[in-house]
Amino acid sequence: MNARVDDNVVSRSLAQIGECGLFLLKVLAAIPRSGRYARETVRQLWFVGAMSLTIIMTCGLFVGMVLGLQLYHVLSIFGGTAATGTVVALSIYRELGPVVTALLFAGRAGTAVTAEIGLMRATDQIAAMELMAVDPLAYVAAPRFLAGLIAMPLLCCVFCALGIFGGHLVGVSWLGIDNGTFWSNMTDTVEVWQDIVNGVIWKSLAFGAVVALIAVFQGYTAPPTSEGVAYATTRTVVASSIAILALDFVLTAFLM
Amino acid sequence: MNAAASPDDTLIRIRGLTTVLNGKKVFDALDLDIPRGKITAIMGPSGTGKTTLLKHITGQMHGDAGQIAVDGKNVPELSREALYGLREKIGYLFQNSALLTDFDVFENVAFPLRQHTRLPEVLIRNIVLTKLQAVGLRGAARLMPSELSGGMARRVALARAIVFDPMLILYDEPFVGLDPIALNQVLKLIRTLNETLGITSVLVAHELSAIQRVADRICLIANGKIVAEGDPHGIENDGSPWTRQFFGGEADGPVPFQYPAGDYAEALGFPRAKA
Repeated sequence: MNARVDDNVVSRSLAQIGECGLFLLKVLAAIPRSGRYARETVRQLWFVGAMSLTIIMTCGLFVGMVLGLQLYHVLSIFGGTAATGTVVALSIYRELGPVVTALLFAGRAGTAVTAEIGLMRATDQIAAMELMAVDPLAYVAAPRFLAGLIAMPLLCCVFCALGIFGGHLVGVSWLGIDNGTFWSNMTDTVEVWQDIVNGVIWKSLAFGAVVALIAVFQGYTAPPTSEGVAYATTRTVVASSIAILALDFVLTAFLM
Repeated sequence: MNAAASPDDTLIRIRGLTTVLNGKKVFDALDLDIPRGKITAIMGPSGTGKTTLLKHITGQMHGDAGQIAVDGKNVPELSREALYGLREKIGYLFQNSALLTDFDVFENVAFPLRQHTRLPEVLIRNIVLTKLQAVGLRGAARLMPSELSGGMARRVALARAIVFDPMLILYDEPFVGLDPIALNQVLKLIRTLNETLGITSVLVAHELSAIQRVADRICLIANGKIVAEGDPHGIENDGSPWTRQFFGGEADGPVPFQYPAGDYAEALGFPRAKA
């Protein structure tokens, strides 16, 4: 009995991953057609990007402050508080920046995209577009996918900047680390290609693509009921979180 | 017969349409001709596939067998581009209006024009206001869909459906939620569109009195087929058991009122009577 249930869960999950892959191909094929809806892409960029700034900036600041505080106390045991800036920066650039931004992005923007598209389907707005000869993949799906892809690296950069500012605030302004030491150790250690490009840019691009794909897919395929939209929204958070952390391991293994 | 070989006076020709959904045969070799420039009403008991038939005509759904030709084009065989090209000539009024909730009334009606034309803004404005005036909602142009009543939303959807002056308009339950004044105006509008522009209309509705005022012909659909068709004022008395039951509102007849179920007494837990 349990084995059968497990088999069903596994086969359903695999089927959904397959459907999601096919949906990605359709969205990619629709991107050239979505060029005429550039205004819609900009509108979505505002919605998923600019509207997420508050949560990203706030969380980035506090993550940086916590890191600064924790690292200062741990490093002070070894007399190495001068390395606080370095470790804060490396932690944020390589892992916490892209991963926490993506998790927050999935919770803030991903769920909103899923719920919006799910409700559009439930209220026949997607069908109405099809009947008005407007391709919903080009008008609805592709702009939201592109907006997620573009917004994530930008939000990640903002998160990293605020995180380092938070670490500086705690380490230098409150705990008395020398300002010059904080910055010079950081700039000596952080490498543009290894930490900024591989850590921030590639990872956040990959996470942006995955979260945007999952959010759009779940909304597009949500059953047209209130329960269906609610489940789809939940699935967006769960699937995105798992995908982000799993992909982070794979990308870290290959890029570092 | 090849359905695609549509003569000029028939806009929609359906031949042998068979559709099975969830194990239930919705259409069973259904044949239907919709004449060009006329108003045809599709009536029938709930759940007999009237809306599904409209979805087949617009290519949203495809049957398991049969042909559907609209303006001489066999819909199931059309490419995406050709299907979209055909849909640009079709207006569709949804049961639940299906207005785009991000846009106000004006932008909802302007949406098809903005997507498919490069008309100057002043012309778009004039066309949209003309259509809104026709449905009595010019003053509501800047309201959002959430601020409209059900009847108003339906009239906005109607304005959107006719904004392109299409060759064919499919109305899915157009009279639901309309007050008598709005109903009268919508009936006049449907008739005027038909008489002045020669637009072909297909109405799916249950209100016989409204249908009789506007339609040229009624087709009664039941058991997956067209079981009766004819003049709106004569079809009630054609002697067929289908029309007698449907228009008389009788529970007994060829259309079962009860959804198929087991024994009623047994379901209530009563002991079976001994034979």
